[in-house]
Amino acid sequence: MKKSSKKFIMVVVILMLTVALVGCGGGEQSTAEPPAEQATAKPGEEQSTAEPVGEQDPAELVSFTVGSSTAFDTLNPLTSYMQVTYEFFMLIYDSLVIYDENYEAVPNLATEWSQSDDNLTWTFKLQEGVKWHDGEPFTSADVKFTYDLMMDTGLGYMYSSYLTGITEVQTPDDLTVVIVTEEPKANILMNTTPILPEHIWAGIAAEELEIFPNEMPVGTGPFKFDSQGPNFVKVVKNPDYFGTKPFVDEYIFVDYENVDSMAQSLILGEIDGANNLNSAQMKQLEADPNVDVISGEELGFMQVGINCWTDEASGGDPLLLDKNIRQAIELGINKQRIVDIAYTGQGTVGTTMINPGNFYHYEPTAAELRDYDVEAAKALLEASGYTDTDGDGVRESADGTPLEFDLITIGDNLEEVKSGQLIASDLAEVGIKINNINMDSGALYDNIISGTYDMFIWGWGADLDPTVIMGVLTTDQIGGNNEPFFSNARYDELFLMQQTELDPQKRQEMVFEMQQIVYDEAPYIIMIYSNNIQAIRSDRWTGYQQIPETGTFFHNLTIYNYMNIKPVK
Amino acid sequence: MSKGIIAKKLLYALLTILVVLIFNYLLFRVLPGDPLAMMMRNPRATPEQIEAVKKLYGLDQAWYVQFFTYFKHLVEGNLGISFVYKAPVAKVVASKILPTVLMVGLAEIIAILIGILIGVVAAWKRGTKLDVWTLGFSLVTYSVPTFWLGMILVVLFCVQLRLFPTSGMLTPGKNFVSDWAKMVDLGRHLVLPVLTMSLVLIGEYALTMRNTLIDVLSEDYIITARAKGFRERYILLKHALPNAMLPMITIIAINIGFVVAGAIQVETIFSWPGLGRLMYEALGARDYPLLQGVFLLVTISVVLANVLADISYAYIDPRVKN
Repeated sequence: MKKSSKKFIMVVVILMLTVALVGCGGGEQSTAEPPAEQATAKPGEEQSTAEPVGEQDPAELVSFTVGSSTAFDTLNPLTSYMQVTYEFFMLIYDSLVIYDENYEAVPNLATEWSQSDDNLTWTFKLQEGVKWHDGEPFTSADVKFTYDLMMDTGLGYMYSSYLTGITEVQTPDDLTVVIVTEEPKANILMNTTPILPEHIWAGIAAEELEIFPNEMPVGTGPFKFDSQGPNFVKVVKNPDYFGTKPFVDEYIFVDYENVDSMAQSLILGEIDGANNLNSAQMKQLEADPNVDVISGEELGFMQVGINCWTDEASGGDPLLLDKNIRQAIELGINKQRIVDIAYTGQGTVGTTMINPGNFYHYEPTAAELRDYDVEAAKALLEASGYTDTDGDGVRESADGTPLEFDLITIGDNLEEVKSGQLIASDLAEVGIKINNINMDSGALYDNIISGTYDMFIWGWGADLDPTVIMGVLTTDQIGGNNEPFFSNARYDELFLMQQTELDPQKRQEMVFEMQQIVYDEAPYIIMIYSNNIQAIRSDRWTGYQQIPETGTFFHNLTIYNYMNIKPVK
Repeated sequence: MSKGIIAKKLLYALLTILVVLIFNYLLFRVLPGDPLAMMMRNPRATPEQIEAVKKLYGLDQAWYVQFFTYFKHLVEGNLGISFVYKAPVAKVVASKILPTVLMVGLAEIIAILIGILIGVVAAWKRGTKLDVWTLGFSLVTYSVPTFWLGMILVVLFCVQLRLFPTSGMLTPGKNFVSDWAKMVDLGRHLVLPVLTMSLVLIGEYALTMRNTLIDVLSEDYIITARAKGFRERYILLKHALPNAMLPMITIIAINIGFVVAGAIQVETIFSWPGLGRLMYEALGARDYPLLQGVFLLVTISVVLANVLADISYAYIDPRVKN
């Protein structure tokens, strides 16, 4: 007993040492010498009571804290793939062009541009006097270096599609970049690839690039990296920024493992804005007069994928190769009920692969539209030769195979699981039996890649430019992103054509036809265009807006709100 | 205990660690799910990029090549590169060890001390009102869902009383005037996670302590001691407790060993940057190197804690010593 109590004392001592260690500066890495004490100018902040008096100057800095349910993966833009990091890169780095609040491409590092008559050579004039955060001058060589680096190494997963088709980048002088493309490049003015400083990245060996931690990102953007801690990243205003300067001095991105705590933090004023909230919290926040909460449309959709693989290696039910069954499934699903119940109204019923409101969105005509219609679904199945011959409520094909399919959902996604159950009950009405199966996303991915599934529910995030999302269903993506193993020659042809069509009207027609094909063939049943619930403390902040009109505050491909949010006087 | 026996125990411990390592390695790989799924299920990624990533992590090689490469690197002290964080596993794991040990360790110590105290008092005053109340308290905290308890504490202490911050380890983005200010901030963030965690743990210790002590107190030698006229307090401290502590040591050793495994639920409620949460996320992302790194740490810690318990038995229990 005596000995063991000594052991306890030892453990206590070790723990106290640990506390001391943490206190003495573990965990947080600050780049700049912190100015005496940076204050957080938050009205109603009770924190200050615990601090020694007289060491804070609340009038000095305007600080805005954003909570998110996702954490930063890496600060390296070549290998990161998280939305929250993408957002961070937009503040730190500049690109040739950026989007304004109307999703129009406007000058950023490039001030003006022109194109050759054959549309293959684009000349960009660069902003004068731009400096990197470390004081080095920015030149056209940095642009060439960044593009070449991403194209040569295949790194920069979030940006590579912006660069496809570029054959050469020339730098006739320090302020001119000439981009040569193989064929006309339709999305050349949608290229928001962040420009990296050559004087830093050129020193990194090729095999080190992917694991380069980039612990001190240096960009030209309106904000400079300040520090990273156990669950936050902080950026501060760049005083030398060439463009209009923001009102906020510092943004702090905090990740929450638990969205309930995040909502509480917002109500308590520990944070100023929040992303990725859920509908239960939305109700709670709506009751708070200090909080402005919205359910904003995001780019992307949730889909029911159906196995269309015709190869004999396919593990899918061959009955699903019949387009009529796939169409009947869509007719039989009450999407509005899924939106209302599974997504508690946070979203809109889906039809085609590009979001409504986007210039390229195709709205099916009244004749094409497959709205929820049990009778039409039954009639289509009946006419295609699927009848319930044995009276068990499930239809059979001519050879007696019942219409019974597995529907896989990701088990820890409650909304998807509920959607799956609703679909099962809807389709039972039309005589199709659905077995709901839950897996984790890794296991579902395995099934999809190997083609051993009937149906699944998952989602895609999309871009403004249609190329990325439409590229998912091209034949060469089979075994990759083409989850339903869909293959259509006309679709593939149109995909290539639209990439090189510079006339927006003509390009729109092509993308329309592509969406029409997918809607008709129904390898994907677009269930819902889902929303992101976000909130801002309106008692403290003003100057922000939803982007686009029915969109979100943050995570929307623009930095408009970061630049325009200002404290309420 | 002779040196030979200790050496033997250590050898067994090493063997155990090795077997667990091999088992873990294979276990993660028979799990369905492609580690590239989470990284590369991205409409912007090209097939060439996916191939390049596979190559970088050696996923393009045969399973046995990957297996031997892993152990070769392990011997060299290289735990590999995390798929998700694109950083050395040792670095990712190391950054979470201190927060975990601090939070879970403190909670364990508090729970052990209070739990034993409650258990002893309850057993000693068996059948009284005090016993009923402490027993009830232990049963309730033992069975209450961690998540629910955490949220209740948040509502009570953060929302109603506004005493403590809701989450995190330090106020994000704050530049601290002094180390003391930082310590105070850390302390304020520590209170609720530690309170939640220790409340959940107290029950186990209290109930075990009470049960074993009651067993011991009904032994013949206690009656003998009473017959000899020893004072009750002396009997409790010198005759009953040393024997009742034996099973406690085992439980404590195992739990201390698991301290580094963190506490997923508490870490989630309070966004505490600990190893439990890291492990859970690594599992979801099929981040094999990171999973192996965390499991290696947990394995070593649990096995070592057990070896230490074995050795300390020798000092506490004369039967083992001889």
